[in-house]
Amino acid sequence: MFSLAFLQTALLYLGYILIFPGFLFCFVIGLLLCGIDRKAVARMQKRVGPPILQPFYDFFKLCGKETIVPAAANRTTFMLAPLVGLAALVVIQLFIPVFNFRVFRNLPEVADIIVILYLLLIPAVSVMLGGAATGSPYAGVGLSREMVTVLAVELPLVLVLLSVAKTVGNALGNGLVFSLSGIVDFQAAHGSLIGRVSMIPAALAMLLIIPGETGNHPFDAAEAETEICEGLLAEYSGAPLGIYKLSHAVKMLTLTSLFVALFLGGIGTGVEHLVAAIGLTGGFAAALSLILQVLILVLLCIVLTLVTISFVHAVTARLKIEQLFKYYWTVVTGLALISLVLAWYGY
Amino acid sequence: MFKKLIEESTGKSPWLFHINAGSCNGCDIELVSVLTPRYDAERLGFKLAGTPRHADIVVVTGPVTQQSLNRVLRTIEQVPEPRCIVTMGSCPQSGNVFRGSYAIAGPLSKYVHVDVDVAGCTPKPEAVIDGLVKATEILREKRRAMK
Repeated sequence: MFSLAFLQTALLYLGYILIFPGFLFCFVIGLLLCGIDRKAVARMQKRVGPPILQPFYDFFKLCGKETIVPAAANRTTFMLAPLVGLAALVVIQLFIPVFNFRVFRNLPEVADIIVILYLLLIPAVSVMLGGAATGSPYAGVGLSREMVTVLAVELPLVLVLLSVAKTVGNALGNGLVFSLSGIVDFQAAHGSLIGRVSMIPAALAMLLIIPGETGNHPFDAAEAETEICEGLLAEYSGAPLGIYKLSHAVKMLTLTSLFVALFLGGIGTGVEHLVAAIGLTGGFAAALSLILQVLILVLLCIVLTLVTISFVHAVTARLKIEQLFKYYWTVVTGLALISLVLAWYGY
Repeated sequence: MFKKLIEESTGKSPWLFHINAGSCNGCDIELVSVLTPRYDAERLGFKLAGTPRHADIVVVTGPVTQQSLNRVLRTIEQVPEPRCIVTMGSCPQSGNVFRGSYAIAGPLSKYVHVDVDVAGCTPKPEAVIDGLVKATEILREKRRAMK
């Protein structure tokens, strides 16, 4: 029936999905990023701040709370929507290369940037679906604002991805390169893309997209807790709320590691040669270089979180929804467009 | 093991929901000072939640007027178990200077079980933090008793 090789591959992929680039990795590192963000914001406001492990406590506490399903809610959608959003984020994490490590090494064409673009929409849609299913008026307001936020962020994100694809394509002489592993391979050979003139505005635009996409502070009109009671999450309690909080944390990891793959992909790829230079070979060397690459990725993600999420949170006040939309479609889109034009002329 | 983890976490991540039941605003300002940089209750995990569905501890201020009684009780019912009710200031505890007024329905303990009373008009932030920490211990006990 099942051959041994098939069983082995199945187990390997199960491990990928559940443990390393998949669920457990996302869970631990995502919540850790969230905790570091809260601590950093507190220190910037001259507070002591919660412990770094606070998001873990919050998540486990919410798992132990009663889940109240509102009488007006659609029970199935209410309970399933958070899971769909989290699953989509875990799938994206499988497609983002950790420098030289790739889950789908044998299938280079399985997931390019466009698939990631679609998958990034699913968590937002799941929050909207779940919120709309509660029938709460606060969720209604949050729904319309979340939709506007998604629309506002999507245009500059597409332009950034397009300019990255064009830069790599120009350099390799074959049009547009949409494969994320192709982009990282190019950076491993020719140095990180952030070093190119045409990519600097795109990197800046991407830094501004990260807090908008995660719904963090100046761009959190959709879940303004002091104004519309967290909007879409107003009626959620217990474990489903915990899963939404978890997906918010994982989204921070997903977007920062996407930034690393797009612009800083050359930093960690030399580790394998370094490990070989010390004189290590075989399985142990491969494991060591993988661990080192993961460490570099996590460090870069922490730095990016501090810069794009914590610092911006500490120095700004919440934007109104029309200000948010205008900001993204003028400033951020403008930056991305400059980058696209520069890339088109081969700078 | 998982149960123990949840129990520990319940004591370390209490989210507050604040109900003003006809308060003079003195206690409300004092509660805000507990959460802001000077006393920073967030270092113990306290966080102000926007809706009763997210809350663990309900903080009631004010002497519970006839007008607000029904709303207070309905809001408390919407908080998922395990939950704690903390009264802040003397008003919800005894009626304070409003005691005997025709407009007052309090004290709150006539209608729901109150876990912690923080007396004072207004209580000092240190006293409020002390009361809230006592409430988290009760919260942990309640979580242990569940299931």
